[in-house]
Amino acid sequence: MSVGFCAALWRTNTPIILLILLVCSPAAMSSTGGNPAAVNVLGEQVSTTESPASLTLAALDANNASINERLSSLSPEAGYQVVDVGVLAIRGYRATINRWQPLMGWLESQIPNSYFRLHPLSLEELAKGVETEALDFVVTNPGQSVMLARQFSLSWIATLRSPINNGAAMQVGSALVVRADSPYRTLRDLKDRRLGIVSKNAFGGYLTLVYEAQLQGIDLPDFVGEIIPLGFPLDNLLYQLGSADTPSVSGASLDAAVVPVCQLEQMQAEGLIKLKDYRVLDNQAPAGFQCQVSTRLYPNWSMAKTSRATQSMAKSVTLALLDLPEDHPAAKAADSAGWTTAVSQLAIDQLLKDLDMHPLQAPWWQRAWQWIQHHQQWAWFALTILVLLNVYHFWLEYRFSRRGRELINTQRQLNENRALLEHAQRIAIAGELGASLSHELNQPLAAIGHYCHGAEVRLQRGTSPEELQSVLNLIQQEVSRADSIISRLRNLLKKRPVSKQPLYLHQLVNDTAPLLAYELEQHHIQLSTNISGEPYQLPLDEVGVQQLLLNLLKNAADACVQRQQSEVDASKPYQPTIDIDLRYQEHKLLLTVTDNGTGLTEDANLLMQAFYSTKSEGLGLGLVICRDIVESHGGRFNLETALSGGCQAQVSLPRKFDGAQA
Amino acid sequence: MSHKLPVYLIDDDESVRRSLRFMLESYGLNIRDFDSAEAFFAAIDLSQPGCALVDVRMPGLSGPQLHTQLLQHNSPLAVIYLTGHGDVPMAVEALKRGAVDFFQKPADGAKLADAVVKALASAKEHYQNNQYLQTYQSLTPREREILTLIAKGYKNQEIADTLCIAMRTVEIHRANLMKGMQVGSLAEMMLIYGRIADRLPPA
Repeated sequence: MSVGFCAALWRTNTPIILLILLVCSPAAMSSTGGNPAAVNVLGEQVSTTESPASLTLAALDANNASINERLSSLSPEAGYQVVDVGVLAIRGYRATINRWQPLMGWLESQIPNSYFRLHPLSLEELAKGVETEALDFVVTNPGQSVMLARQFSLSWIATLRSPINNGAAMQVGSALVVRADSPYRTLRDLKDRRLGIVSKNAFGGYLTLVYEAQLQGIDLPDFVGEIIPLGFPLDNLLYQLGSADTPSVSGASLDAAVVPVCQLEQMQAEGLIKLKDYRVLDNQAPAGFQCQVSTRLYPNWSMAKTSRATQSMAKSVTLALLDLPEDHPAAKAADSAGWTTAVSQLAIDQLLKDLDMHPLQAPWWQRAWQWIQHHQQWAWFALTILVLLNVYHFWLEYRFSRRGRELINTQRQLNENRALLEHAQRIAIAGELGASLSHELNQPLAAIGHYCHGAEVRLQRGTSPEELQSVLNLIQQEVSRADSIISRLRNLLKKRPVSKQPLYLHQLVNDTAPLLAYELEQHHIQLSTNISGEPYQLPLDEVGVQQLLLNLLKNAADACVQRQQSEVDASKPYQPTIDIDLRYQEHKLLLTVTDNGTGLTEDANLLMQAFYSTKSEGLGLGLVICRDIVESHGGRFNLETALSGGCQAQVSLPRKFDGAQA
Repeated sequence: MSHKLPVYLIDDDESVRRSLRFMLESYGLNIRDFDSAEAFFAAIDLSQPGCALVDVRMPGLSGPQLHTQLLQHNSPLAVIYLTGHGDVPMAVEALKRGAVDFFQKPADGAKLADAVVKALASAKEHYQNNQYLQTYQSLTPREREILTLIAKGYKNQEIADTLCIAMRTVEIHRANLMKGMQVGSLAEMMLIYGRIADRLPPA
């Protein structure tokens, strides 16, 4: 947990803490009722978590009464010295009073004219008390002692000796407790389990185990499924864990619990639990140590003087503590064998440092900041790289999106170009048809010219205009003929918004064939059309199909002409023919255009590739467009070699085609 | 009047044919039209004078093919080509064959009528030459011999000396010659001879 977060907790608790400190301050102590009031305030705070099996209310009342009695026996003018002692309350307020009040009595008896006031406080309250100089001495666990010592001016004067282990001063660690009937054997079995702890700041009850796990390569908070801080008193942890005989209070909500070392044994001694119901995992208690412990041991609780206490008082208190006999009630009440000189806190320093919680060790971001301040050139370099990378990233993004847009544009352009190409191919056909068309168009124009001139001459020679009326009709007929030729051409040439209308294919054939009649005639190519079956209408793209027919007929005619030119054998006269065969079948319409020209010289699939042409001036688009047009009608387009050796183009159009796609 | 000679119009396109006929009739020409060369040959005596207006491109026999047949028959019919889109090589070819003129449709009526009239005149002349040639061919070899020498400007005595015949015999032949050629004067006979001279086989 980061310092920042602690600070945040601090702030949220400030009103309560200020109230406590106000009550605890020496000014408040001038009133005789001050202390009990403080007791009440704090008592209310912790009584909710008080162990049901701890002190009775009566005992507490008796205790309070004795305090009041002693207070009243001291008069202000007697010159006594008030000493405030803060004690970490780990097992509830009353238990704390019971544990430490006798020690206060011992100190008062050893130091004349002194009054030791006991303040059971939480971790945060204790720290706050030291910071605001509201306390003279503190008694706390090793974890907090180091935290406090490195933040505030504290001098350690004595360490508590443990009564159970020959008075050893190394007395703090964690026991990882599970129910005796549970399957867990080591810490590693607890993956994704629910682990109960007292608090994430608790030293003996949590941090020592986290450190132990870290030494084994386990990141405890991540390793277990859930860590549930239950707060003080510690007894709750074991109750929540439950036992084989007595199911847990809240239905065995924990799989394991972490308690300070000897907590288990102590509660057994107090008769609160049965030791056989529980098991301690990874016990590594040293020889002769009477409690089971899952971690190494750290120095016991210690007492320190704050900057508020005077040197003489500190000396007196130290002497009094060291003088406390092992078997004195005050020592026993504190579960100790008296006091010894303060022991080294190095092991604790090491632990806190490794857990990144040492008060003198700035959090990682502060250290990073310091490093940056010391190595500015590298920091600037890194920052520059970062900025450059970001700029590069955005530049890439920009390029990418621009490319994307370009791609879409290109595709659109491509589609437009394809339409243009089709259009160009139609115009190219029109160019090829030019001779035929101009011949055809010339006929009606010539006729009109002749009629006009003849009429003019007759008028000059005295024919009455009435007699010439009929000529106007003839002229009109010729105009209509020319018009129909032009509109046929215009239909072919206009850019087509594809629209399909129900049409008879044979009518389109009949309309289209004349466009090439002149050319066929010129090369003496015979064109025959055969229609079979009951004609029906199909939705056809008129211009497209015309283009298709023109392409097929033109190809056929070209093939015939090519053969005509290459034919050298004069003994066998060659009669070029083109046959159009149209079959209206029940499900499909079959159109075949067969010629007896040079035939296929290349693979049909190759011929249908764009820009592939066997003709010297061909665009290589005719057949591609043919196939596109047929496929837009849902049909199939094939080229085969005909029996005559020429080429046969087959178009098959389905009678029912729903595809609205062009 | 050469105007009354027949003008044959051969074109497969009906509207063109009818309109041309309408136009040329307004010039007082005697028009007969056919929709193909075959129909034309079936109906016409090729030895009679007249004018053929022929479309170059037709199904079946084309204009030039028709022209060739006329030449083979030594027909006096004069040929005028009509074409939808004439080009220079085609026109040159046509004129080499002996066509009178070459028109692109739509043809200018007045010019075409003029050309037709000229063609008819030429046909008539061609027809007369044919007649003269026939007359010439009806002469005896001796008479043709004497005619050739007269044309060369020989006097009767010189002819008699050349042919080793009597002067009197030359005179008799000469009289028969005038009768056979149906002419009244030597000048007239020389004119006719001049017309047919280039078509005579070498003596």
